Amino acid sequence: MGALIKMVSVARPRIGFHHVNSISLSARAAIQCLSDAQIDPFTIGLLVNTGIYRHKNTGEPSIAALIQKKISACKPVNNDSDKSESTFSFDINNGGCGFLTGIEIIHSAISDGEITYGMLVTGDSEPFHGLSENFNIHPAAAALILEKSENSTGFSLFRTYIFPEYSEEFVSCTFFHDPKWFRKGRNILNIKQKESYLDLCVNCSVESFFNFLDESGIDLDEIDLIISSQSPIGFTGMLKKRLGLNGNFIELEKTGEMIYHTAGPLFALKKVWDDNRFRSSENIIFLTIGSGINVSLALYKN
Amino acid sequence: MGWNCQIESIGVKSPGRRLSTSDLTGKFKIPCIRKLSLLTGISERKICSAGEDSFSLAEDAARNCLSYSKYRADELDMIINCSITKYKGGLSHLYEPSFSSLIRNRIGARRAITFDISNACAGMLTGVYIADKFIRQGIIKTCMIVSGEYISNLCDHAIKNIRTTLSSELSSLTLGDYGTAAILERTADEKNGLIVSGFTTLSQYSDLCTGRQNRNAPGGKMRTKARKIHQAAVKESVPIVKEALRKCRLSLKDIKWLIPHQTSRSSIISGANHYFECLGEKPGQIVITLKETGNTASTTHFLALYKYLNERQFSENDIVMLLCFASGLIIGVVIFKMNEIVYRYGSTN
Repeated sequence: MGALIKMVSVARPRIGFHHVNSISLSARAAIQCLSDAQIDPFTIGLLVNTGIYRHKNTGEPSIAALIQKKISACKPVNNDSDKSESTFSFDINNGGCGFLTGIEIIHSAISDGEITYGMLVTGDSEPFHGLSENFNIHPAAAALILEKSENSTGFSLFRTYIFPEYSEEFVSCTFFHDPKWFRKGRNILNIKQKESYLDLCVNCSVESFFNFLDESGIDLDEIDLIISSQSPIGFTGMLKKRLGLNGNFIELEKTGEMIYHTAGPLFALKKVWDDNRFRSSENIIFLTIGSGINVSLALYKN
Repeated sequence: MGWNCQIESIGVKSPGRRLSTSDLTGKFKIPCIRKLSLLTGISERKICSAGEDSFSLAEDAARNCLSYSKYRADELDMIINCSITKYKGGLSHLYEPSFSSLIRNRIGARRAITFDISNACAGMLTGVYIADKFIRQGIIKTCMIVSGEYISNLCDHAIKNIRTTLSSELSSLTLGDYGTAAILERTADEKNGLIVSGFTTLSQYSDLCTGRQNRNAPGGKMRTKARKIHQAAVKESVPIVKEALRKCRLSLKDIKWLIPHQTSRSSIISGANHYFECLGEKPGQIVITLKETGNTASTTHFLALYKYLNERQFSENDIVMLLCFASGLIIGVVIFKMNEIVYRYGSTN
C-alpha cells in the first residue's frame, strides 16, 4: 500500500504584497488544496510543514500547528470516536530535501493505516523584512494532499544519498549585528553559497540519480517525468543537460536571480498537474537536493 | 514478520554552569517572584557556559549515548535532531544545513540519513513517533534522536521585561539548558515494544505559548499564558490517555512510572489530581526531576529517564508512560516496558 497525490496547490504573494508572511501564504495554499480536493480539514490526520525561512523565525509552536489552526483542522478531543479525526502536526527542517522527507513520513503513516489523508505544506519568506544578506528566495508556498492507494500506484521507493564532505558549501544562519553607537543591533540572516556549490549539486544529483535507477530497476528510457528542486540558480538547466532528458524534465520559467526554494518541486509538480502530463505519465521520479549535500529521490507510479 | 521498536540507550550532556533560582530571582524587586522556587519546585538550573550552545550539547549527548550503546556511530541508519533552538557558534541560529547532518559528520555516522524536526517541547517524542514508524515498517533498524536546548537566553529577555507577576514571560524563568540523545532499535520482542499513541495537535490553543527570535537582541523570547495552557492540556489529555491505555489493555494503576513534561511541580501535581478525579486511579509514581534542571523543553522526558536509570530506580518490566504537553497544543503518549537497559546504567554501589 502506497500513498497517492490527491491534490496540489500553490500560492504566491498577491500583486503589490511582496513582503509576506510565510505562515499566511502556506495557509492560503493549504485552504486552496483542501477546497480543490473537496476534503474536510478534520480528515487530515497528519500535517507536515517543510518550509525553512519562517515568519519572524518562530520557534514554537510549530509552523504546522499555526497553519493547522488557520485551516480549521482543530476539533476538540471529547471522546474516543473524535480521536480518529484528530490532526497531528509538526515541522521538518531538511533544506531542499524537506519535501521528500515529509512525503516519506506521511507515506509511512498512511501505510501504517493510521491516517487516511496527510498534508504537506511548505513556504518560505524573509523572516524579518530587510534584515538579510543574499536572500534570493521567492516568497512562495505550496500544499499537497496524499491519500491511501489501494494498489501499487503512488510513491513506492524513497532513497537519500549523502555527501557529507560538502557540508560547508551552503550555510545559512543568523548573526547578531551590533553597530554600537546609538543604533539598535539586529539579528541578520546571512546565506553563504560557495561558487562550487552549483557544480557539486549537479554532480551529486547525477551520481545519485543513476544509483537510484539501479536500485529501482528502471531504465532511463522508461522515465516519463522528472520533477526536481528548482534551487540553486541554474541547477535544473545544468542537470537537464547532463541527464539528456529535455522533454521529460520539468523546469520553471526563470524569474531573474530569485529562486523557489522548498516550494520549488511543488511548483514544478503543479505545472504538470494542470496540463495533465502528471496523470498521463507512468513512471515519475522526484529529485530533491539540499545543503549537506543530501540528494533524495522517490519513484511515483501512475 | 512484524517488528517493534524499543529504546536501546540514552545519553545526556549537562551544560557547564549552574544558576540557582535564588540568584535569578534576586534580580527582581517584586516580592512574589522571589517565591518562584517554592511555586515551581525548581531550586536551580544548568545553563550554557562560554563555548557551549545547542549544537555542542546535542553532539556531546549523542557521544554519551553511544558510550552506553552496543551500536557504533557508523551502524546508525537515521539521526533526527529534535531541538527547538538551533544555535551554533553562540546565539547564531542555523537554518541550513540541518543540525542532524552536522552531528552525523561529527560523530562519524557515515551512512545515517538525517533531518531535523521542530515541534516545541514535544520534539523528542515526535522523533520517537517518526522513528517508531520507520523501524516497525522495516525501513531502518536503528535511529538516534537527539536534542540540545540552549533556552536560558530567553530568561535574559524576561529579566528585562518582567514588571509584575502577571507577566507572560514569567515561564521563561523556569527554563534550563540540557542535551539528550536516545537510540531506538528494532526488536522482534512483542512485549517490550513502544506503544506510541494519541499524538494530537489541538491547534485552537496554539497561541497560548509562543517563542521566537528577538529582532533587536541576541537569542529569543517566549510568551506564555501559563494557567490557560495548563488547564487546556489537563482537560484535553484525559481522553487521549484513556485511549492509549485502552490500546495497551492497561489501566492507569498498571503504570509504574508516569513521566510528564516537566514544567513546574505545582502544575504536575494538579494535573495528576485531575487524572485521579477523572479516571479514579493513580499511577505508581509521578516522576518530577526539575528541581536541579528546571524545564529543559524537548529534552525533559529523556533527561528524567536517564536520571532514574542512573539512580537505579527502575526495574526490568516496569511499565513507563511518557506524557508530552507542548505548545501547539500537542498531547502525546508513549508507553513501554523497561527492558535490560536498567542493568547498563548507574552503579550498584
